[in-house]
Amino acid sequence: MHRLIQSLVARLPLGFRVLYRQFLLRVVDLEALSIEADVERFLGQFAGVLILISLISALGAFFSTIAPPTTPEGWLALAWHMEQSAVATMMLVVGLLTVVSWDSTFPDRRDVMVLSPLPVAPRTILLAKVCASGALVCVAIAALNCASGFAWPLILGTHFAGLPGFARFCVAWWLTVVGASAFLYCSVLTVQGFSALLLPRRTFLLFSAILQLAAFGLFLGVYFIEPSFLSPAAFMAAKGSWWLACTPSYWFFALFNQVSGNLPADLAWLAWRGWIGLGVAVTGAAASLLLCYLRTMKKTVEEPDLVPGTHGWACTPRFGGSLQTAIVLFAFRSLVRSRQHRVVLAFYFSVAFALAIALLRHELSAPAPLPITPEFIVPTILMMTFSVIGLRNVFPLPISLTANWVLRTTQLCPPEKYIAATRRTQLIFAVLPVWIVSAFLSLSYRPWHQVAEHLVVLGLLGFAFAEVSLIGFHKVPFTCSYLPGKSNIQLTFWAFVFVLLILGVSFAPFEQSVLGKPVQYAELIAVLGAAAFGLWAFNHHRAKSAVLYFEEIPEEVITTLKLAYAPPNRNQGDTQDA
Amino acid sequence: MLELQSLYRSFRGIPAIADVSFQVAPGEIVGFLGPNGAGKSTTVKIVTGMLRPNDGRVLFEGQDVSKDMVAFRAAFGYVPEEAHLYNYLSGLEYLQLVGRLRGLGEALIEVKATRLLKLLHLESWQYSPISSYSKGMRQRVLLAAALLHDPKLLIFDEPLSGLDVVSARMFKDLLELLAAQGKAVLYISHVLEVVEQICSRVIVIAKGRILADAAPSDLTKLMKLPNLESVFAQLVEQQETRSVAQEIVEVMQIANG
Repeated sequence: MHRLIQSLVARLPLGFRVLYRQFLLRVVDLEALSIEADVERFLGQFAGVLILISLISALGAFFSTIAPPTTPEGWLALAWHMEQSAVATMMLVVGLLTVVSWDSTFPDRRDVMVLSPLPVAPRTILLAKVCASGALVCVAIAALNCASGFAWPLILGTHFAGLPGFARFCVAWWLTVVGASAFLYCSVLTVQGFSALLLPRRTFLLFSAILQLAAFGLFLGVYFIEPSFLSPAAFMAAKGSWWLACTPSYWFFALFNQVSGNLPADLAWLAWRGWIGLGVAVTGAAASLLLCYLRTMKKTVEEPDLVPGTHGWACTPRFGGSLQTAIVLFAFRSLVRSRQHRVVLAFYFSVAFALAIALLRHELSAPAPLPITPEFIVPTILMMTFSVIGLRNVFPLPISLTANWVLRTTQLCPPEKYIAATRRTQLIFAVLPVWIVSAFLSLSYRPWHQVAEHLVVLGLLGFAFAEVSLIGFHKVPFTCSYLPGKSNIQLTFWAFVFVLLILGVSFAPFEQSVLGKPVQYAELIAVLGAAAFGLWAFNHHRAKSAVLYFEEIPEEVITTLKLAYAPPNRNQGDTQDA
Repeated sequence: MLELQSLYRSFRGIPAIADVSFQVAPGEIVGFLGPNGAGKSTTVKIVTGMLRPNDGRVLFEGQDVSKDMVAFRAAFGYVPEEAHLYNYLSGLEYLQLVGRLRGLGEALIEVKATRLLKLLHLESWQYSPISSYSKGMRQRVLLAAALLHDPKLLIFDEPLSGLDVVSARMFKDLLELLAAQGKAVLYISHVLEVVEQICSRVIVIAKGRILADAAPSDLTKLMKLPNLESVFAQLVEQQETRSVAQEIVEVMQIANG
C-alpha cells in the first residue's frame, strides 16, 4: 500500500510535489517556532487531540450499550443526539481550521514575489495550495472520526437494521462528515475569494482580518448556542424557525438520515438544503479560486512597493514607568496587529463572551433586581479564569523572533522589572476588562453593598489568578520561541479548567453565604488577600534571581559524558548560547 | 574606550574566533573586515552581549562589561547587519519602544524620534507600518534607533546596505562628525572603498583570527599594494576569483543526464 502510494505520488509533477509540501508545512508559521521545533510533530499533536476526542466519543458509544435506552423513542433520541453532535463538532473543527489557516489557500505577496520569476504555472500553485489545505482538512476528518465513525454506526446501525444497517450508517456517517466539512471549507473560500476579487487589495486585507474574527465567533457561537432536536416532533415544532432553516448543521444532519434511510418525509427539505448548499459552496469556491489566481496574482504584483504614508496619532497612554509603558504597549500592539495572536486569544475570550451574553440575557429577562446568587458568582469567576488563562496562553507565542535583538541589547533594567511589566499587562488586558464587564452585568442585582463585596472578591481572585499564571514565566510576552509540546498546553488548560470549575462551583455558595455578614466577609477577604499577596511575594522573590530568556531549548534526553578534550576554561557556555 | 582581550568562542567544539584582541579609542572609526564566515558577527555578538565568550573579556572604559552589562548596554548603539524589526509597528512606534526600553523620558523621546525621522526623510512614513518600508528606509530606522540615546560607542554592521547614494553620503559625513564628537565607532563592512575613506584604522579577521590591525595607508605601504582591496585579498588568501568564476560557469552549463 505504502509502495503503491509512493509510486502514485512519484507520477505527480515535481513542481507540484515541491510546492505542496512547502505549502502544507507553512500552515504553521515557521518563524514562530523554536529552532529545535519540528512542524510535523506539531501537526501530529493537533491530530492527536482530535483522535483523543474521537476515542472519547467511541467510548461513549460502548458505554451506551451498558445501559441502553429501553424504548424506540429513547434509541431515536440517542441516535439523533449523536448525529447532530457529530455533524456540529466536525463543522466546528473544520471551521476553526479554516480560521487558523485563513488566507493560506490564496496567493500572498510572498508567493507572488518568490514564485512569479520561476517557471511555475499559476495552476500548479493553485493545485498545490488547494491540496495542501485540503489535506489538512482530510487529516482532521480522519482523526476526528477514526474511532467514533465506526463505533456509533456499529451500535446504532446494528440496532436499527442489523449488519446492513451498520454498513449503511457507516456510509452515511462518512459521507456526511466529508460533505459538511467540504461545505464549510468551500463556503469560507467562496467568501474570501469573492471579497479579494471585488474589494481593493488594501480594503480586502482589512476586511479579511475582521471577517476572520467574525467567522471565528460565528463558528463557536453557533456550536454552543444551537439547540438539539431529539425527535421528529421537536423538529416539526421548530419548522418555521430561523434556526432550523439557516443552520447548516441541521441540513447535514437531515442529509445523514436521508442517506441512512431514516429521514421522516417532512424533513426532506432540510436534506435538500444540504445538497444544494454543498453544490453552491463547491462551485463558488472553484470559481473564486480560479478567478483569484487569474486576477489577484496580477493585482498583487501591480501593487506599489511603497505607498504614501498615513496619518496617525502620536500620543500614547502611560502605564507606569517607561519600561512598563514599553512592554504593555508592545503587548497591546502585538495582540491587536497579529492575526495569529488575535485568533488564539479570541478562542478563550469567546467562552468568557458567551458567559457574559448568557448573564446579560438572564439580567434583561429578570422582572426585578435580584439578590446575588451562585448563578451569577460562578460565571463571573469563570469569565475571569478564561480571560487570564487566555492571555497567558497567548503570551508564549512569538511574533517576530529575529527582531528580539533590540530587547536583548536594550535590557537596562533587572528581569524583575520586565516581569512586573508583564504582570501589569495581565492585569490591564485580562483582569480589568472582565472586572468592568462584571460590574456592568451586576447593575440589576441588589443590595448594592453585596454587589460591591462580590466585585472586591472578584478583583482579588483576578489578581491571584494572574499571579498563578505568571509563575515561572520569565520572558517578555511574544518574544520567546515556541517549542511545541513543551508546555503541554491542552493538558494544562483542561486540568486548570476542571480544577477551577470544581473550586468555583463549591466556592460560590460559600461566598453567597458570607455576603452581607461583615465579620465572615472580612475573614474571606483576609484569606483571599493573603493568598494574592503570598503569590505576588513568591513571584517577586523568584523574579529577583530570574534570567530573561528568548529561546525555548528542549530538555536534553541524552546525557553526554563530556569525554572529548576541550581546552581548559574554553567550553564553558558553549551549550547555552550556541 | 572599547577593548577586546583574547576572545575565544567555539560552537560545538569548533572555534569560531580565537585570540581576538583589539581596541577602539574615543574619536576613532575602526573598520572591521573579513570574508564571510571569518568571525565578524560572532565578535560583534559578543561585544553587544548577545553571546558569551568561552574565554577572554570585553572591557569598556576599563571595566569588564560582563560585570555590569546594563551600564554597557546603556552606552552603545547598534545597527545590525540584517534589518530585523517589529514590522507591525510604525517607524515612530519602534523608536518610542526603543526609547522607553532605554529609559528615556517621554518628552525627550518625542523630540528626538520625530526630529530624527524628519532628518532621515521618514517623516511622512512615521505612522506607516515598517512592513511597508523599503530596505533603505528600514536601515534608516535602525540608524535613528541606534542614535536615539546619544551613545558613547557605536557599532555599525553593514550600515550602508540598501541606502541610496545620498543617504550613504550623509551617513559617511555623520560618521566623521560622530568621531569628531569623541564617539568610538566600530564599523563592519565589505565595501572596502568606504572603509579606506573613513576609517582611521582597520582590523582584518579571517578564520577567526586577527590578521592585521593598522591604518589603511600603513597597510598598503607595508604590503606594497595599491589599495585596501588588494591588501585584503592577499591577507585572507582569497582564491583566484577569475578561476572560481570560470568554474561557476562550467557548473552552470552541466546538462541533464
